Amino acid sequence: MKIGIMSFAHLHAHAYVDAIRQMPGVELIGVADSDLSRGQAAADQAETKLFPTFEALLESDVDGVVITAANADHRRLTEMAAAAGKHILCEKPIATSLEDARAMEKAVKEAGVKFQMAFPCRFIPAVQNLKRQYDHGGLGRVVLIRSTNRGKMPGGFFVEPELSGGGAVIDHTVHIVDLVRWIFQTEIVEVYAEIDRHFHDIPTEDCGLLTMELANGAFMTLDPSWSRPDDFYTWGDVYLKVVGTNAVSEVDMMRQSLERIGAGKPNYEWDFWGSNSDYYLVKEFVDSFREDREPSITAADGIKALEVAAAAYESGKTKAPVRLR
Amino acid sequence: MKVGIVGLGTMGTTHAAGYQSVAGAKLVAVADIQPNRSHAVAERYGVRSYATLAEMLEAEDLDVVDVCLPTFLHRQAVEMAAAAGKHVFCEKPLALTPEDAKAMVDACRKAGVTLGVGHVVRFFPEYQKAKTVLAAGEMGKIGTVYMYRGGGGFPTAWQDWYARHEWSGGIVLDLMIHDLDFLLWTMGDVERVFAKSTWRRDYGRMEHALVSLRFANGVIGNVEGTWLPLESFKTEFEFAGTNGLLSHSSAHAVSFKSHQLQTPGEAGPQGVTVPRSPVTRSPYSLELEHFIDCLHKGVEPIINGEAGLRAVTLVAAAQKSIETGKPVGLERG
Ligand SMILES: NC(=O)c1ccc[n+]([C@@H]2O[C@H](COP(=O)([O-])OP(=O)(O)OC[C@H]3O[C@@H](n4cnc5c(N)ncnc54)[C@H](O)[C@@H]3O)[C@@H](O)[C@H]2O)c1
Repeated sequence: MKIGIMSFAHLHAHAYVDAIRQMPGVELIGVADSDLSRGQAAADQAETKLFPTFEALLESDVDGVVITAANADHRRLTEMAAAAGKHILCEKPIATSLEDARAMEKAVKEAGVKFQMAFPCRFIPAVQNLKRQYDHGGLGRVVLIRSTNRGKMPGGFFVEPELSGGGAVIDHTVHIVDLVRWIFQTEIVEVYAEIDRHFHDIPTEDCGLLTMELANGAFMTLDPSWSRPDDFYTWGDVYLKVVGTNAVSEVDMMRQSLERIGAGKPNYEWDFWGSNSDYYLVKEFVDSFREDREPSITAADGIKALEVAAAAYESGKTKAPVRLR
Repeated sequence: MKVGIVGLGTMGTTHAAGYQSVAGAKLVAVADIQPNRSHAVAERYGVRSYATLAEMLEAEDLDVVDVCLPTFLHRQAVEMAAAAGKHVFCEKPLALTPEDAKAMVDACRKAGVTLGVGHVVRFFPEYQKAKTVLAAGEMGKIGTVYMYRGGGGFPTAWQDWYARHEWSGGIVLDLMIHDLDFLLWTMGDVERVFAKSTWRRDYGRMEHALVSLRFANGVIGNVEGTWLPLESFKTEFEFAGTNGLLSHSSAHAVSFKSHQLQTPGEAGPQGVTVPRSPVTRSPYSLELEHFIDCLHKGVEPIINGEAGLRAVTLVAAAQKSIETGKPVGLERG
């Protein structure tokens, strides 16, 4: 199976490159980028070739592409890849607007190509534990959830609203929302949000707090803030506390890290040793077309998560809860 | 200052012990409708015991009444003590409602006595340290804050009064008010609150709540409290500012650990629970010492009646949000 990367605007592209290169039976046949020097550097690093244009990459015999462009470019590149009959793994959020997201869903359906959202958190073993526990009734009925997906301010296109669609809220809401929808097979029905910019001098928000009602009767809060300092000891966190009628369970992904104390800068760091969820995300993508089946994370999942982020922005403006659907 | 305590449950006995190391205060009497309670404490400290506050006020020449009654009885007791011309120290929460709290503040003003409220968290060293760091601006401008308290299980008490919402006010008033008061102290006025609780939704008495706060200075807060019996009682906070993070978890603040391998013989100390984070002076003693010291000096205690009222007012807004499902705005105090 031959995979190509479309754009290195999103730094996650490098993790996908590593995953692809480790995967048996999968070949990274090249990369393309609107920024040629960035693309060349990435190609050199990955020991692969740089296609001069996205079109050139899509004209090759590549089977599937990973779209790691700025959020606002997801639609255009998805439509191009779909038209070329290539399968797509799309970085989150699916798009910067629901209109774009729905157009993407339509394009891939019409082209008959596989489309998978990049929600790698589904492949965190602790998250899968939680799902298994829930599926087997170990948690009981879910009563409430407190969650955080906090990080450092990423800079780059992430803080340019025309390219990103927003700041911390769109960036970090979708991961946890996807997990909650997937694990508990439920939907978010109401969103209330406090949103602001406190930490950085940037054009987007950098912090917030979402309070949500779920269709299964539970409620939850989610902190999506870019509130980790630049020299924080790791990139951020993925944390979920689920209070069920039978158990209270917590997922704290980054705890699987070595503590490193030294003379470096910063002199306290966490070295993550937990499993590589990006690898299993890419494998699921490749398997979906190897086995000719729907990927487990669809465009519809991307749309649902984006709807919640959009509702959060609306609530932040109106200062009132927003109903979904 | 001659002190009498009314209500000798968990807090009354804690206060009685606390006064033993407070300079300038002397515990002289205690009152509780359960004679075994009052007799036990009276015997331990060599003080006189009564069944009711009225009897204690009648028989004793007190300077201070310390109210450790269940929350729904606070107003009545504070007003009675104030009318008798006594200074009053009242356990938190000051009252069930802002209306009650306001009436109590007014009654004490009118009687010319000082009212202090037991928001003891302000005297816990880790919280005091945080207050100092935050007040000095060392964390820069604060953007978000999270506070957690709970996991110790449902409180056992007289007549199971915590289980009756109309007596205890539920978890936001009873437990989370500790953190809400601390935030009012460190972050200032709250502009808007949005809150969710399991109250009337799930779990019955084991209430668990999540509160979203927006402060007048823009800070976004998330406060969590639970009465669920988790592995142990735990407190946590994190202040995120432009200069970094300031955080605490009692789960990590463990300076003493011991695992019993064998039950010691007859002579050994059996069944003593030892604090895992011992400090030389109990915060409960420190809060009382501060109050007594203010009385001697004739100055307002840091947690006066108005501070108690302010916290109860914020709780009432959160409770209203829980009931209506809508955000609730607050006036700047
Ligand atoms: N600051 C803290 O950390 C903290 C902790 C726990 C409780 N509290 C507060 O302290 C107060 C007391 O709580 P508690 O857990 O000690 O309650 P408790 O039930 O253990 O004790 C209450 C006592 O009051 C007595 N009592 C009841 N009615 C009486 C009356 N009319 N006259 C005389 N005595 C009477 C009862 O017999 C009982 O001994 C509450 O307001 C509670 O919210 C504060």
